Amino acid sequence: MAIKSYEDLDSMQLDALREIGNIGAGNAATALSGTIGKPVNIDIPTVKILDINEAVEALGGAEKIVAGIMVKLEEGIHGAMMSIQTLDVINLMLDSLLGTKVDSYEELDEMHVSAVCEIANILMGSYVNAISDMTGMPVNISVPAISINMLGALVAVPMATYCYEADKIMIIEGKFSFDGMMHKHNLMLIPDVDSLKRVLTRLGVYNE
Amino acid sequence: MSSVATVGIAEMGVVRGEDQLITYALGSCIGVCIYDKNAKIAGMVHIMLPTAPTDGSGKSVCRYADSGVPALVNKMESIGARRGLLTAKIAGGARMFNIPGDSVVGNIGDRNTDAVKKILSDLRIPIVGHDVGQDYARTMSFNACDGMVTIKAFSKGITTW
Repeated sequence: MAIKSYEDLDSMQLDALREIGNIGAGNAATALSGTIGKPVNIDIPTVKILDINEAVEALGGAEKIVAGIMVKLEEGIHGAMMSIQTLDVINLMLDSLLGTKVDSYEELDEMHVSAVCEIANILMGSYVNAISDMTGMPVNISVPAISINMLGALVAVPMATYCYEADKIMIIEGKFSFDGMMHKHNLMLIPDVDSLKRVLTRLGVYNE
Repeated sequence: MSSVATVGIAEMGVVRGEDQLITYALGSCIGVCIYDKNAKIAGMVHIMLPTAPTDGSGKSVCRYADSGVPALVNKMESIGARRGLLTAKIAGGARMFNIPGDSVVGNIGDRNTDAVKKILSDLRIPIVGHDVGQDYARTMSFNACDGMVTIKAFSKGITTW
């Protein structure tokens, strides 16, 4: 069946995408551990394909304030990726990297923000490398852009840019733990439909 | 008893009398509120993109300005609103991300604003209030009783107009 959007994916194709999530999470654990200098464990992530309004609810509600760090995917795959981070995860990173914490988003200064972007960049880069390794397609990611604002508004941006006709979106929910604490980290992966077809073709689960 | 109906992303809603509509977290998206003050009929649509695909593959009519706004007007007219009396208020169209060297992502909000203004002008519905642009999200509520819009924005407070 021709794929026009995520809702057309069959179970084998979804499994292939989950596998990318698994390998990406493994890469991310290694990279994160190296960056913060502590052992990091990552559980097998949950890959969900959701309607945009469902996705916003699943991530904590439209008005929840979060940091969204977005990169564009270029070369072999076109699209976007976004890392969604809440204040407790941000604090964990800041504590490990800079030895500081903040009480609210408003307190984040330039150095904090660049640390948050850097961590997101490392996490997203790990997933992108997994896709690149599995498919043999080169993928570049752009310099990250950050926005701290209402979740619903942030999620709609890559959706509007790359899912022109699609109603669904792919969320990779990772759980990682260090210092004995479990944390959630959500990633949105949004290849445009042509790129999605190329990825699935390379993974051997799609023939046009 | 008045009630509040929620309008999701790429959805629309129509209420009348004492009821209200609300849509959350408009970023690059635009909330279009249309009002008939005589009939006290209020309609709202949460627009994500300027134009529907020409091949008709866009399933969600309310996602696009050029199909969503006329669909809302038709729905309002079907329950008694009169075209010549309609006025509009719009909010959203922000630039949420600034990716260096990229204009596609950054310009969605502006393109949405332009498309909404054009379609409202084509339909001869005057815009009597707006809060668009900038770089932050807005939650918009709309009261069928008096046609007033209330905007709540992160770290910007609340305004009613």
